[in-house]
Amino acid sequence: MSDTKSITRRRFMMATGSTVAMLGVQPSFAQRLKIDPNAFQPIPIAIPNFGAGSPADGQVGADVAGVITNNLKRSGLFAPIDPAAFIQKTINIDDAPQFQNWKTVNAQALVVGRVTRQSDGRLLAEFRLWDVVSGQQLAGQKYQTAPEFWRRIAHIISDQIYTQLTGEKGYFDSRVVFVDESGAAERRVKKLAIMDQDGANVRYLTRGSDLVLTPRFSPSSQEITYMEFGQGDPKVYLFNIETGQREIVGNFPGMSFSPRFSPDGQRIIMSLQQGGNSNLFVMDLRSKSTTRLTDTPAIDTSPCYSPDGSQICFESDRGGRPQIYVMPAAGGTAQRISFAKDDVNASYSTPVWSPRGDYIAFTRQGGGQFSIGIIKPDGTGERLLTSGFHNEGPTFAPNGRVLMFFRDPGGNSGPSLFTIDITGRNELKQPTPGYASDPAWSPLLS
Amino acid sequence: MKVKIDKSLAASIVLHILVLGWGLISFSARSYEVPQESLAVDIISTDQLAKMTQGIKNGEKDKPKPLVEKVADAKPVDEAIGKVTEKEITTSAAPKPVEKPVEKKPDPPKQAEEKPKDEPKQADKKPDPAKVDPIAEALKSEEAKKPKPKPKPKQEAKAQPTPPQPKQERVFDQTKIAALLDKRDPTRESITGSALNASASLGTHSGNSQNIVATWKGAFVAAVRRCFSFPYNGMDADQFEADIDIYMRPDGTLASQPTIVAVRGPAASISRAMGESAARAIVQCQAYSFLPKEQYETWKYIPMTFGLKDMM
Repeated sequence: MSDTKSITRRRFMMATGSTVAMLGVQPSFAQRLKIDPNAFQPIPIAIPNFGAGSPADGQVGADVAGVITNNLKRSGLFAPIDPAAFIQKTINIDDAPQFQNWKTVNAQALVVGRVTRQSDGRLLAEFRLWDVVSGQQLAGQKYQTAPEFWRRIAHIISDQIYTQLTGEKGYFDSRVVFVDESGAAERRVKKLAIMDQDGANVRYLTRGSDLVLTPRFSPSSQEITYMEFGQGDPKVYLFNIETGQREIVGNFPGMSFSPRFSPDGQRIIMSLQQGGNSNLFVMDLRSKSTTRLTDTPAIDTSPCYSPDGSQICFESDRGGRPQIYVMPAAGGTAQRISFAKDDVNASYSTPVWSPRGDYIAFTRQGGGQFSIGIIKPDGTGERLLTSGFHNEGPTFAPNGRVLMFFRDPGGNSGPSLFTIDITGRNELKQPTPGYASDPAWSPLLS
Repeated sequence: MKVKIDKSLAASIVLHILVLGWGLISFSARSYEVPQESLAVDIISTDQLAKMTQGIKNGEKDKPKPLVEKVADAKPVDEAIGKVTEKEITTSAAPKPVEKPVEKKPDPPKQAEEKPKDEPKQADKKPDPAKVDPIAEALKSEEAKKPKPKPKPKQEAKAQPTPPQPKQERVFDQTKIAALLDKRDPTRESITGSALNASASLGTHSGNSQNIVATWKGAFVAAVRRCFSFPYNGMDADQFEADIDIYMRPDGTLASQPTIVAVRGPAASISRAMGESAARAIVQCQAYSFLPKEQYETWKYIPMTFGLKDMM
């Protein structure tokens, strides 16, 4: 009987084998061709001047197109086409475009718009985004605002274009708070200042009589927290941008440093120095109650929340040199994530968590160089974006794709702000009225 | 009745058996094995070949001469084995004490750099020049017949075709064996040509012309890829995919706008934008006139899936 059994088994194996073989042979047209992208090329886009609803609006129309062009170009993801090359200089937003004219100048996208001063004094701005290749409209919107906010309209339209063509959130309708520096190198006057992310609309928030450091935005973006060296020890302040009111966050014996808001805007986390070491504390802004988070004979400072508020990253020298640690937001075991394989003596500082949650940016010092880098929260994927004599203090744009930091060339000149993409590309100098340091990027305003 | 066996008869029988037995055993047929002449052959993959002929990204555009790293042999190397006397070879296979090193000359056909070249490093002692010649001739004609995929138009330098080995007898000088060894560097990893040319011609971004499978699919993917780029570089970039279908006209242009069948990925706005970007790329890079018209039935409908490699 084993014979028949083995025969049937053999037959069975042959049957299954041939079936499997037949299944493996699929008709080729059912398989889709796989296509991966080429090296990234900026998207060519045409942005002619916005049309004027009335003759007086001509200048505003040109200005709005100029702001949009500047934003998209500085992002590094777009290549605005020189208007001198346009076949058609003006275009009516109510007409369908002559796509052949735009294909000739190699545009893939076209922005058409119009601004009109209304009878009630408000400004009406409208735009359409066209896909030149397919001839379809991708986006279109109308906005009304007081005329002096025409720049914000331009930034909002820029964000719309950015999102439509890249799929990611934009970052153009945002502001940057920083420390404006002026005067001689030995006696710098440091004032708190705020500007649009493209460098326009600079406003000074303090007079410069006292030293200010590490300003940070609240997620609701109407308040800033910062450190000021007044009489006695440095203190953490809360500053309302709109009302100009200032208050001290809390009265702590000793010095308080590097304040930051929690993502819900309800708490401020900071480091307090007591004796020779400094530890992390969280203060609830409503109840003013304070919680201690770390208790080590080391310097724990520069704390930062993750975008979901569940974890914090901070800088600590408990292991010898300053390194980056990640810890649950309520306290607990801290995990070191920075390990410089190529330099045992490197130190890491000023960690900041990306709003996308996927990276932590830091300042790294080692081998006579200062570098700005990013690392994943689990400690892998470290990459340095820029290195030099001095680079410090990174801050993320609201979409987590661009970093701003400051660089001090040393000597008699002062520091300046720079932006860079997280791939390390497209490093640009940020326009500021004078020397500038300690930038902090606000969330999107809209 | 007792058979009287004669002593001499018995001895004769035994001896006969012994001799016949020994003869049976010792003269049994054994297949004559031709001593294998080993020829060192190096297999080059298409990847290596593509790398060699890739060119450089910043080369000059109009440099028709391809990169040549090594001068190929154009003529037979002069062997230092003494005087060469022209003589008629007699077909009678009398083994003469005349040896002649057998060398494989560089291949005459155009793909000079494709063939892995190697010369036997030592002079083989051939039993008979007459025997060797037909073998060498047969090998050479076989090599010439081997089909080779014609590479993309990069003019290869042609090594001059070598004349068939002259029927010569040479005096073999045993003291000069060292001179017979092939001192040339192996050329299998280099590009050879008739004249040295150190600067590569302008190569493309991917320079993989040798890798392209000789079907329209490879060429089509490469053509569309030229136009497709997308800025998203998050950690989950490889999770985004877009399925797009197109219908083609026989002349290689699109019959209609691409259809975005489906998009996948953790963020809807990014997968949507990627699908639109891919559709733009397909339209931008037409016409795909290289598609073989006789196979139109196979490419009149092309389904594709666009993805994002890890952009970091």
